[in-house]
Order: sequence, then structure tokens, then C-alpha cells
Amino acid sequence: MHITSSPTHSAGGITLRGLQRRFETSTALDDVSVNLPSGRFSVLLGPSGCGKSTLLRLIAGLDTPTAGQIYVDQTEITALPPSQRNLSMVFQSYALFPHLSVAENILFGLSVRRVARAEQQARLDRVASMMGLTDLLARRPAQLSGGQQQRVALARAVISDRPICLMDEPLSNLDAKLRAEMRVEIRALQQRLGLTMVYVTHDQVEAMTMADHIVVMNQGRVQQVASPRDLYENPANTFVARFIGTPPMNLIPVACLAEPGALPEGGMVGIRPEDIVLDPKGLPARLVGVEYLGADQLAAFEIGPDDHRVRVLVRVPARHALPADGHALAWPDSAEHVFGPDGLRLSALLSPLKEPSHA
Amino acid sequence: MSVMVTDTSRVDRALFVTGAWVLALIWVLPLAWAIWSAIHPPAFVTRFDPLAPLTVENFVGAWNAAPFGRYLLNTVLLVSLVLGAQLLLCIHAAFAFARLEFPGKSILFALVLLQLMVTPDILLVRNYATVASLGLLDTILAIGLPYFASAFAIFLLRQTFKTIPKELDDAARVEGVTLLGLIWRVYVPLAKPTILAFALVSVSHHWNNFVWPLIVTSSVETRPLTVGLSIFATTDSGIEWSTITAATLITSAPLLVGFLLFQRQFVQSFMRAGIK
Repeated sequence: MHITSSPTHSAGGITLRGLQRRFETSTALDDVSVNLPSGRFSVLLGPSGCGKSTLLRLIAGLDTPTAGQIYVDQTEITALPPSQRNLSMVFQSYALFPHLSVAENILFGLSVRRVARAEQQARLDRVASMMGLTDLLARRPAQLSGGQQQRVALARAVISDRPICLMDEPLSNLDAKLRAEMRVEIRALQQRLGLTMVYVTHDQVEAMTMADHIVVMNQGRVQQVASPRDLYENPANTFVARFIGTPPMNLIPVACLAEPGALPEGGMVGIRPEDIVLDPKGLPARLVGVEYLGADQLAAFEIGPDDHRVRVLVRVPARHALPADGHALAWPDSAEHVFGPDGLRLSALLSPLKEPSHA
Repeated sequence: MSVMVTDTSRVDRALFVTGAWVLALIWVLPLAWAIWSAIHPPAFVTRFDPLAPLTVENFVGAWNAAPFGRYLLNTVLLVSLVLGAQLLLCIHAAFAFARLEFPGKSILFALVLLQLMVTPDILLVRNYATVASLGLLDTILAIGLPYFASAFAIFLLRQTFKTIPKELDDAARVEGVTLLGLIWRVYVPLAKPTILAFALVSVSHHWNNFVWPLIVTSSVETRPLTVGLSIFATTDSGIEWSTITAATLITSAPLLVGFLLFQRQFVQSFMRAGIK
């Protein structure tokens, strides 16, 4: 795959300002203000029902916000119909027209826009060979495998030559192996064509592996916008801390620590399972379960005083079986993420922290 | 247990087969008699002698006794006009009820459904007055007009359109189709089985429709086959049964032949329209 004739787009930066979408009984999106820079791969990530698909539909123009504005390259497009927004879209179900052949599906948009026949054919040839669909052009969608249908849906977006591409969970109907392949392929396509990609998913692996930056959403609000690394290392609040990372970050209420020190009352300390080590000088802990994963094992411990027991997951190498009792846990100060009672990260508080107490 | 099951199912099957044959025989008997009397001389109308001489005299007589050519043309014009107008009106109405939001939508749709429950015969006088006030009496348009906005078609198509995935609609809109383009490039092709099934019902219904055309037409230039046939059968030819049955066969033949030719497509399209 060595297609170089596609123009590299430099346009297509999307700015969302104060977007809100209310339905009759609920608010799907509230006060969303985000920059999705041009030529970058942005992922909208969140649990189901968090409003990420609603947000994508607002950007596409398939739905209208109840408040707020959408800009593309400083031009407001909030009220424009989808066709005038200069974007393409790939749907979760692929949305291929069952009554049209693969070629007709790919050319649907060009034919609607009355592009000349000769140019349609030239663009079809180029895109079909790029996506490996040349031999399938005469087939109907129903005669294709899931992966091939996915490629047709991608080809339909690519052939439009539009600077912005929206994708709504495009890989969720594929099996795990194909999904891993398509992740790489979509990312490569985006970089080669210089597309401004807005990609919706609930799968954090997709988000972490593909994104230039990730917009984490929950309950209709943006929780954090950051690069995958930054998101993992500096989660802005307890939701992001728990949502990013498998297994999720341990959140230990300050009350459970014997020596809270400078920690805020009612706050939380977050520690990633891989940052905790078994250390006889550490916090005493009771082993309650082990999950064997091959390279690693996940050990569940309980720590804290009897009235404030809290469960802590620890990722340890699987080489040695864990004894039933006599454990103690420790972690370096630098691994602590401190959150206030409101759940927000206290970045200012660079705690002069204590080694956990040796009660 | 298995013996019991096979026994009952065998009895069931026997009953079904017998029932089907009895019903089929009852159904085919008039048709068979019509064919018999049409292809034999009048003397053999009620004498079923297998050696009776065959003849085409009855067909020639019937064809010459009344302007069936003109009637046939009228009927063909009528069913094409009705079907064309129904599809044009009802496809768009059905799309609006299925996918557009507008004030009063549910009330309007309830009114359409209400129309389904009204027997057309009740409206004969009212329709006659309306057609008369439009100055359309004794025209083919007048025969078709009351049926153009078919509630059945609107309902049937709306249900079909509702099953078409919304994402196809979204995808087409992102690609920039207009509303009409969306209907004709996406919705209509996907609803083809339903449209075909409806076309079949509509054509056969209007081919056979009798009372309304009888009331509203009064000249050879507008009468459809059914009306022409009834006039022919009652006045001119008395009770010359062999001629009447020959005429009946002439009038129903095109529809019958059409059904036989396209039987498979029709059945398939009915099944697909039903399943989807």
C-alpha cells in the first residue's frame, strides 16, 4: 500500500463551544467545549450512555444542539446540514446500502454530488486498490464478510476526499483478531491522508493505541482531554483514574491510611496495581483472591482498619505463588495520585509523603 | 409417544389435503364451467358430453358484440393511473409518517388509519357528488380519483420504511442526498418487495372493481371491462351463456395470464414483505 496521490489535508480543525443536547427527559450532553485539532486522531471515549455518540452526531449535523456552537476552521457550522460540513462518516453497522453493489456503495456520495463519470471511475480504482477491494466491486454487501464490509465503509469515507472523518465505534462488530488489524490500518490511513479523525469508542485499548489525544466523557460531560500517556499518568479526577487502565486504579480513602499526613480529609489516594509491591515493611494486608493471567497475576488484598476495609488490586509477576497470609503492601510516593473530596486531582499537593504506616 | 405423534400428524395431514382439494374444487368449478361452455356450441352449455365439438364461435361472437378492445384499453389506463398515483402519493406520505417530525403527525396518521375502517361503498353517493361538482363525471380519472390516496398503501409502506435502519438514512444524508433523493435512492429500492406486493393487490382490485365505475361512467370511451361485461350480459345477448362466459374469459384473461407468468415473483415478494 503506497498511495501517495491523495492530497494531504491541512484543514478541518473542529472547535466545540458550550455544546448542550437536551432530550425531553434527560440531558445527553452538557457544556462540552473541546478542540479537535486538524490532522490529528481524536478519540471520544466513555462508557455507554456517556453522550459520545450524541456528540459525534452533533458534529456530523445529524442532530442539532440545544445550545452551543460548532466551528470548523473558525467557520461556524452549527446550523449547516450534514452534506455541507465537508466531512465523511463511518457507522457502527457500516450502513452499506444492501441494494447496491460494492462499487455503487463506494460511489454513492460522488453520484449524489454528480461528479463526472470518468472521475468517479478513476477515484474508485484508486480507493479500491488502496483498500484491497478491487476483486469485490461487483458483489453485494450481504456477500461480504464483516471485515470486508468494514473496508467498504472505510472506502466510502476515503473516496469523498473530505478533510474530516467521523467514526462511530467502527470496529465493535469485528472479532478480536480483525479488530487489532483494523486498528493499525485505520491509524495508518488517517496519518497517510492527514485526516482529522474523530473516533468514538468505549474500548480503551482502541483509544490508547490509536489516538493522538483522547476526550474522556462521562454522563454528558467532558472529564479530561489529554494524550493517552498523560491520561494514564495524570488522570484529572477519580472517574478517569478508574476508567483508564485495566485493572483500574486502586482508590484508597484517606481514612483507611493509618498516617494520612498532609492528605486532604475525605479525599482519596489512587495507586495503579502495577505500582504496588509486596514489601514486609509496608501496610499489612489480607489476601482475598488471586487471578492468574499468565505473565502476571492479579492479587486482591484488603487493607485498612476493620471498620474501613478497602480492597486493593496488585499486579505481581506470576512466577511465584503467593502464600496465604503475612502480606504487606508498599508503593513509592511518586506513584500516588491524590484526589480531593470532590474527586478532582490535587496536582498542587506534592505531598511530602510518608511511607505507609507500619501499624 | 413417537407413534402417537406420527398417527395424529398423519390424520392431520390427511384432513389438510382433503380440505385443500375440496376447497380447490369448489373454487375452480365456476371457472372450469366457464371454459367448458365458452369452447363448446350453445347446445352443450349444460350437457357435459366429452365428445362435444369444440368451437371459437363464442369468442368471436362476444368480441364482435361489444367493444371489448376499448373496454380493455380503459381498464389498463385505469389501473395504471390508479397505481401510479397511489405510489406517487403514498410513498411520500408514508415516508413523512415514518421518518419526519411535524406537528399533528399522530392525529393525521390516526385519520389515515380511520380511512382504512370505512367501507368504500358508504361513500358512493358522497363521492359521486364530489366528482360531479368537479365536472369529472364519465371520465377515467373519476373512476380512479377516490382511490388515489390509499390508506392501506400509506400504512403498509410506513411500516416497511420504519424497519429500514436509521443509519442508512444518516449515511445517505452525510453523503448529501436531498430529501427526495433519500426517498427514491434509499427507501424505495429497499421497500421494493412491499411495493410490488401492494401493486399486485391494487391492480387486481381495480381491474375487478365494479360498483363505482358502473355508477360514474356512462359511455363506451370510459367503461372498464367489468362494467362493459355486465351491460353486455344483461341487455344485448339475453341469456346466451356460452357467449357470456366467453366474454368473461376474455376480460379476465390478461390478469390471469399475468398472474401465472409472474406467480413466483409475486409469492416471493409477498413473503418478503411479510417477513421484513
